[in-house]
Amino acid sequence: MSNSMMYVNEMVEEASAHDRPERKRRLGILFWICVGWLALNVLAAIFANVLPLQDPLFQNYVSINAGPSLHHLFGTDDLGRDIFSRVVFGSRVSIEVSSGAMVIGFGVGAPLGMLAAYRRGKFDAILSSVMYVFLAFPAIIATIAVLSFWTPRSLFKIIVVIGIASIPVVYRVIRSAAMTIATKDYVVAAKVQGATDRRILMKELLPNVAPIGISFLLIGIATVVTLEGALAFLGLSVNPPTPSWGNMINESLAILQTNPWLAIFPSLAMCLFLLCLNFIGDRLRAHYDVSDGKL
Amino acid sequence: MSDTTQPLLKVRDLTVTFGSHRRKLSAVAGVSFDIFEGETLGLVGESGCGKSTTGKALMRIVEPSGGTIEIEGIELTTKNGKDLRNLRTRMQMIFQDPISSLNPRRRVKDIVAEPLDCWKTVEGAEREALVNDLLSKVGIDPVAHGNRYARQFSGGQCQRISIARSLAMRPKLLICDEMVSALDVSVQAQILNLLEDLKAEYGLTLLFIAHDLAVVKNVSDRVAVMYLGKICEIGPSDTLYESPEHPYTKFLLGAALEADPDSPIHGDVLSGEPPSPLNPPSGCRFRTRCPNATEKCALEEPQLVEIATGHQVACHYPLSTLARK
Amino acid sequence: MSQEQKLLVVKDLATTFHTPSGPLAAVGGVSFDLNQNETLGIVGESGAGKTVLLRTIMGLQPRTNVDVSGSVLLDGFEVVGASEKAKRSIWGLEVAMVFQDPMTSLNPVMRIGKQIDEILRVRLGMDRRAAKARALELLELVGIPSPAVRYNVFPGELSGGMRQRVVIATALAGSPKLLMADEPTTGLDVTIQAQILNLLEELKEQMKMSVVLVTHDLGVVATRTSQIIVMYAGRIVEMGSTREVFAHHRMPYTRALLEGSPKVSNPSHTRLLAIPGRPPNLLNLPKGCSFAPRCSFATDRCRQERPELENANAPGHTFACWNPLPVTQSVSA
Repeated sequence: MSNSMMYVNEMVEEASAHDRPERKRRLGILFWICVGWLALNVLAAIFANVLPLQDPLFQNYVSINAGPSLHHLFGTDDLGRDIFSRVVFGSRVSIEVSSGAMVIGFGVGAPLGMLAAYRRGKFDAILSSVMYVFLAFPAIIATIAVLSFWTPRSLFKIIVVIGIASIPVVYRVIRSAAMTIATKDYVVAAKVQGATDRRILMKELLPNVAPIGISFLLIGIATVVTLEGALAFLGLSVNPPTPSWGNMINESLAILQTNPWLAIFPSLAMCLFLLCLNFIGDRLRAHYDVSDGKL
Repeated sequence: MSDTTQPLLKVRDLTVTFGSHRRKLSAVAGVSFDIFEGETLGLVGESGCGKSTTGKALMRIVEPSGGTIEIEGIELTTKNGKDLRNLRTRMQMIFQDPISSLNPRRRVKDIVAEPLDCWKTVEGAEREALVNDLLSKVGIDPVAHGNRYARQFSGGQCQRISIARSLAMRPKLLICDEMVSALDVSVQAQILNLLEDLKAEYGLTLLFIAHDLAVVKNVSDRVAVMYLGKICEIGPSDTLYESPEHPYTKFLLGAALEADPDSPIHGDVLSGEPPSPLNPPSGCRFRTRCPNATEKCALEEPQLVEIATGHQVACHYPLSTLARK
Repeated sequence: MSQEQKLLVVKDLATTFHTPSGPLAAVGGVSFDLNQNETLGIVGESGAGKTVLLRTIMGLQPRTNVDVSGSVLLDGFEVVGASEKAKRSIWGLEVAMVFQDPMTSLNPVMRIGKQIDEILRVRLGMDRRAAKARALELLELVGIPSPAVRYNVFPGELSGGMRQRVVIATALAGSPKLLMADEPTTGLDVTIQAQILNLLEELKEQMKMSVVLVTHDLGVVATRTSQIIVMYAGRIVEMGSTREVFAHHRMPYTRALLEGSPKVSNPSHTRLLAIPGRPPNLLNLPKGCSFAPRCSFATDRCRQERPELENANAPGHTFACWNPLPVTQSVSA
């Protein structure tokens, strides 16, 4: 009975609406495990060069398609390269592409979305219709098409193309989040007190849109990691021999029968990475949901 | 009214129209009134009568589509940009929903200081002192609660904080839009008393918009009654409540229930519901529900006419003249 | 008054919710009874437990995380502890409810006629034609103009007042003996409120119903009820005949309610009796009288020991207070 549960919640809120000290809400141990795992991934990617890892490009023909061992934690691939080291170095591409693309997507999409929600009128109408036209193209197909023709491929180009493709998506999410806030009385009140538009955007809108933006950012990163994986799988991402999770999985296809480790480890790394991102994003959204002061 | 004193706020033929040319909704259809310094004008009416829109149009939160608004002799409707922002320090507004009028992610002190920060009038220790003073004036302990977030307060406390914020720039005119209707009786009494105290202390002039007739009478010196975008009667509150001249005022008062088992229930309850403001009746807007309506009411729109000192009514057949016949 | 006349007997009713922050005593130690064809008003501020009390009497509390103790005897039927199936047999037929928000208690995508029809067909087993005829009758009864036309409209096409009339029509479909109205006119304009209250009163007489009217509006209880219960923090603090309670209230909280609300008959700028503070947190109720922290008459005893309901001078008038207002204090209100 969801109806009656809602009703109990109402009662609790009504009762706790009085004299409540700032209540600490727990994010949960799982949340912190996820954060820890992500941090480990990112740090490993940043410091991959200085870490005691084997050269990801070194081909050791003595041990080809070896299983996991002490010497090669995840085993080796068909060219005798250390899979563990390739997975770590491969995460660089995923992390660089996803964060770079999100910088572009949020850098352009978020301010525009907030501005459109606050201004409304013609500005919003024109901008939104342009964005919706872009949204009508399936992002992955458009990205594949652009990357196929824009050669030679480089990490920078991939970031730019995915970044631009993400702008309308970010715009739409931020605009609708900002829209519900822009109609609140406190925004009107700020206007009435003589606050400038800039001040209202920074002080009233931004702090309330930010939590939604952050959780969407994490989900956005996850989406881009998948997208990069898909592109790499199709051979449209960075050129071999530079490892990336996507192209490692691609390479593993041919030898899946003889050496499944090559497919399993990069897939597992990507899976865990995505799982953590989505979980953190979801948890944060719930955590910061102080809709109308109700905790 | 005596013309010796210049009104603080002078509103003439204010109209607010929503929608495009095909579906025009005139929420406020030509409203004129004055508010004199130090008085409280109550604005009552049922939902959809345009009372809140009138208040918002005065603050230019919604754009008036016609008419003039003068505060201290300065025309408001033609001002824009910085001039408009400047004028906004003279009048402030308090909203109906206490919780949504405060940003849940800001600290109470910062909320109250917001107008000061916008205008950079005072800074540092002076700002702090002023904020603390305002908070204690409205009954919020600045030391214990000043650093809390707005979301940690109840409705009544939020409304107190809103009042403190609105007073920060020492405005002349305070527009209260249904400010106590979301509060419980015991909290409502606290806020109404607080408002009266602050009005005396700060020399405020109030426009008090509400649907509750008893509340409006309690705070107002004069009361204006609105119906479907127009003022149908305006007068000193005691006179207006005792001997209403407009039939609508009489029905409205009759429907207000007194918290007294011995008060009579008025037999004649106004039937029907207000017509749509999209398509208001010709002539007098109340004629479709008025028991005294004649053909004249359909043809000719009654204008506000003074029938006693300070008591104006927009009706072809005011009740006192009807009774004499 | 003989036992047969009692339509509703509530004894020691308590509703406690188990919340993550601890037990929440929404209603505690409530006992009262209601005669046939009588209107009872329950007043109190938000969080006083009015709505929970009403729902508990209906047996509408959630299935989990809630404890209900005591007894609710509704025309001989024990609601507390009854199975969902058993309760379903009284809902609509013995007791029906009118909610505050008519928009959410009607299905927005179903024509209003069908919504009434459905109740008649499912609950009363009427056939299609009889149900439609009865639905039209009910719409007419609640004063909806041209019912045949309105039968086919969606709730969204009606005004708030009209929607509340439809809700009342659906509540009356099973000819209940008891009608529970939870803030039925809150959110409606005064002139519409008067229409709805008049309608409820007429229907009560016509259908020989009892009505429980929950409201925060003292004007509504003063003029429309014969009995009144004043609730504070989940408990009854004063009850009796409306006239008696308004004239000779003994509990300081009742006085605060009565003299704290502005009156049309008072001159402008009348100072209101304002009590400090606000209703207590139900998760953490004070030890003695819940009202003590806000009460100017409170003594140590009030803070330590909870007062029980005791008899006042008039029969049926009880109040819970260690330091009641003197009896002579009756001219106000």
